[in-house]
Amino acid sequence: MQQTVQAIIDDLSGVIYGKQQQIKLALTCLFSQGHLLIEDLPGMGKTTLSHALAAVLGLTYQRVQFTSDLLPSDILGSSIFNANKHEFTFHKGPVFSQVVLADEINRAGPKTQSALLEAMEENQVTMDGDKHALPSPFFVIATQNPLYQSGTYPLPESQLDRFFMRISLGFPPQEAERKLILGQNNRDYDRLPVRINAEQLIAIQNKISTVTLSTPVVDYILALVWATRNNSQFANALSPRASIALGKAAQAWAFIDGRDFVTPDDIQAIFASVTEHRLGLNHDTSSQQLNQLLNDVNVPL
Amino acid sequence: MPVINNLSAINLSLSVIYILVLSFIFTELPPAFNALLVSLCIWNLAITLLKRNKPNAILANTLAGFSLLVLFYDVGFGDTVTLFVAMLILSSLFKLLQATTKKHYQTITLLSFFSLSTVYLFSQSLFATLIISILYILNFAVLALIESNHNLKIAVKSSLKLLLLALPIAIFLLLLLPKMPAFWQLPGPKLAKTGLSESVDPFDIAKLSNSDELVFRAKFDQQRPAAPYYWRAIIHDEFDGKTWLISDILKAKQVIGQNGAKRADEPLFSYQIFAEPAAKPWLYGLQLATSTHKDVKTTSDGLLLRKRFLANSISYTAQSYPLDITQLSRSVQYQNVQLNLAKDTNMRSQSFAQRLYEQHNNNDDAFYTALYDYFASNGFSYTLTPDPITGSNTLDQFLFNNKRGFCGHYASTAAFMFRSVGIPARVVSGYLGGEYNEQNSYLSVYQYDAHAWVEVYIKNKGWEIFDATAVVSPERLNGSLSQHTQLNNEFTSNLSFGLLRLSNIAGFNWLRLKLETLDYQWTSWVLGFDQQKQTSLLNTLFGNKQLWQISLMVIATVCLAFICYFVYLSWPKKSPDPKHALSKDYLKLVSWCEKQGIVAKPNQTPLQFLNYAAEQKPEKRMYIEQFAQLYSDVRYRQLVFSSYRKKHSKDLIKLIKTKMKRKL
Repeated sequence: MQQTVQAIIDDLSGVIYGKQQQIKLALTCLFSQGHLLIEDLPGMGKTTLSHALAAVLGLTYQRVQFTSDLLPSDILGSSIFNANKHEFTFHKGPVFSQVVLADEINRAGPKTQSALLEAMEENQVTMDGDKHALPSPFFVIATQNPLYQSGTYPLPESQLDRFFMRISLGFPPQEAERKLILGQNNRDYDRLPVRINAEQLIAIQNKISTVTLSTPVVDYILALVWATRNNSQFANALSPRASIALGKAAQAWAFIDGRDFVTPDDIQAIFASVTEHRLGLNHDTSSQQLNQLLNDVNVPL
Repeated sequence: MPVINNLSAINLSLSVIYILVLSFIFTELPPAFNALLVSLCIWNLAITLLKRNKPNAILANTLAGFSLLVLFYDVGFGDTVTLFVAMLILSSLFKLLQATTKKHYQTITLLSFFSLSTVYLFSQSLFATLIISILYILNFAVLALIESNHNLKIAVKSSLKLLLLALPIAIFLLLLLPKMPAFWQLPGPKLAKTGLSESVDPFDIAKLSNSDELVFRAKFDQQRPAAPYYWRAIIHDEFDGKTWLISDILKAKQVIGQNGAKRADEPLFSYQIFAEPAAKPWLYGLQLATSTHKDVKTTSDGLLLRKRFLANSISYTAQSYPLDITQLSRSVQYQNVQLNLAKDTNMRSQSFAQRLYEQHNNNDDAFYTALYDYFASNGFSYTLTPDPITGSNTLDQFLFNNKRGFCGHYASTAAFMFRSVGIPARVVSGYLGGEYNEQNSYLSVYQYDAHAWVEVYIKNKGWEIFDATAVVSPERLNGSLSQHTQLNNEFTSNLSFGLLRLSNIAGFNWLRLKLETLDYQWTSWVLGFDQQKQTSLLNTLFGNKQLWQISLMVIATVCLAFICYFVYLSWPKKSPDPKHALSKDYLKLVSWCEKQGIVAKPNQTPLQFLNYAAEQKPEKRMYIEQFAQLYSDVRYRQLVFSSYRKKHSKDLIKLIKTKMKRKL
């Protein structure tokens, strides 16, 4: 299992150069059954990463490009009158696949955003009173542009909270960029080998829930969470859902690292990705604020 | 109205408390009143257990009024202490019968504390103390139950904790807070019902009252002298034809009695007495006793008397001098008292004695011996259950017909016969012998060891003891009556039920002796801790200071302790953070690293720091990495921190800390 995970990381590294940390975080999110939000400037490889992720996990996927005129039915599907049978039949939209790539999610209007986020929360779509279950596993990998970009509708906090993690890729190292310019990268993610299937993915997810969360580690999570609650610097304190997410993410991170126990180091590794968007931090100053927080909270011994 | 939870538990506990209090003081109250109190308790219990309604106010008040009449009529105003104790308990029980609100129950609980304390007016034994302490705990628990929703078990636990916390303070105060002289004294509560009395008339009782109540304990300073021990308490010098009494002259002399003056010559022996509370002022001593204790006065006849505080147990040191050094009183009037015969009674005995005296040439000494011989050889026997002799001339009937009796009979008869021939004689009552405790080498003297004997004044010799029991039942002179083999059956059947009654069974006897020893310790260490002992303790602790200075110091210490405690309570506490043993080891390592100039960054996790330290100290890298492995195994993988791992951790720290030896 460990080799498989390592192979996936290697494959993805072949697509996105020099971003091993982000790749691991993205995998952590998916292994924790969480939805992933990738936020960055245009042209940083957000879409490439999400495509590659879906491909390498061997999951059915659909890409939806969000625009300001996208309607909920464009994602969820719609009922169409069948003239032969004299009835409405439901035509499933792109959301009915194991991985949905929601590109530039903050370019669509709130109504459309809500439609997707409701599906994410409930793992089902309700249309004309009928419930339609979404496939399992079901992931949403959304990308968005930073909020100051024009033509964006910011996601409200309550909906941001649905995303397990938010990562940003950042500029690639120069050496990697050089390769990109020279066209030496493998942008053909469709031809990536499929490393695991859905059953194996579920097995990994189950395995991760057995990774040991020891008392000092849980103490550390609690200390961090409470530090945000006692600190006026943060607009939104971390909710219990965030605490749970921290634990789960740390377990997945430790698993990817090849361990069956979580250390405080794992918490520190995933902390920013799990909490940044929930704390409502400005993207530019967040890393400084979070560092301050980590400095202030003593690591339980 | 505030709702009370646990109502039945509260009711039940309070009823139990009062029933047990009654069990300690029922002997002090008249039976009719006892019955009234017991029925009130049972009524309370019945209301609780059968879930009946409480009586309405009219019924309860009528009953209370009626009970008060019973109280005044039955208990009377003679003994105000008993009266007030009875009134307190009666009112508490009625209050309990009518209690509905929280306030009521709080009042009753408060009253219970007083009711419980009244038991000490009547009994201060270890057993009573134990039971009362348990009831105190229960009462505190009830108080807690009234206020909280906890169950009785939790309440008892917390009240036990409370009491244990208070115990050191109590001991401290008992030991060090100077005992002040009492401002008032209890108007003579009735104590031991049994015991010696001022008059001795052995003939109208069929059965010697054999209480197994402890009277006193005696511990000799040196080797104990040989038996018999005649513990003198009362001298009866007046005979009215039937009964031996204390003459007014003697009573007057006792009033003048003073603290024993130190005699120039060495005493025969000296000993310490731990006397139980008693109803009468008589204390106990051997032969001619004196004591310099400030609450004990010594009479010219060598008797000891309490000056005050009858209700307290008292421990005093006494010295004994030979009995025969006292002289016959010079007063002619008093000499006549000691020869007084109550003329025209018991003529047969009188003439018999005179005949015997003439037979021995009117020699006092010879008559003394002859009388012993007479009792030894004429079919007299010793019994604890003699037939009562009534009518006049009781001595005649005993001497010539009955010939079965106990000490009182013999003493009475012998004293009469001595007086018949003009030899001054008196009946002395007190105690004979005592049970010797080998382990702690003290004598315990019980009420059943009560004895009466005769002291006669032989010319040129002084006062001598004449005890016909010595020849009728010689075994009685050694040890206690309880150890008397011949009289054992008679003795045990006389006793009320108790451990002593079962003392034939080895196990019970062992248990009895153990309890007895425990009670001795209690008496000598706790009850016997009086002002004198405290003063000597305080002197050793504080030097020879004034009492008020010591009081001030002790009170200041207590206040200081309390202030410290409250400051400690309100001090901002560091969160109780019980550190894992390995975490402590890790911290040792951190402080070592700091000395080496390797300082942890604020957000470094232990593993990060160890990794950093390993980089900084390449020569120790192996050990530091091993420690990091151990740390993550134990703290994060949750492997057991076994003794092997403990040792491993200690070894690693030692290895890391020791300086590397340079290789040559």
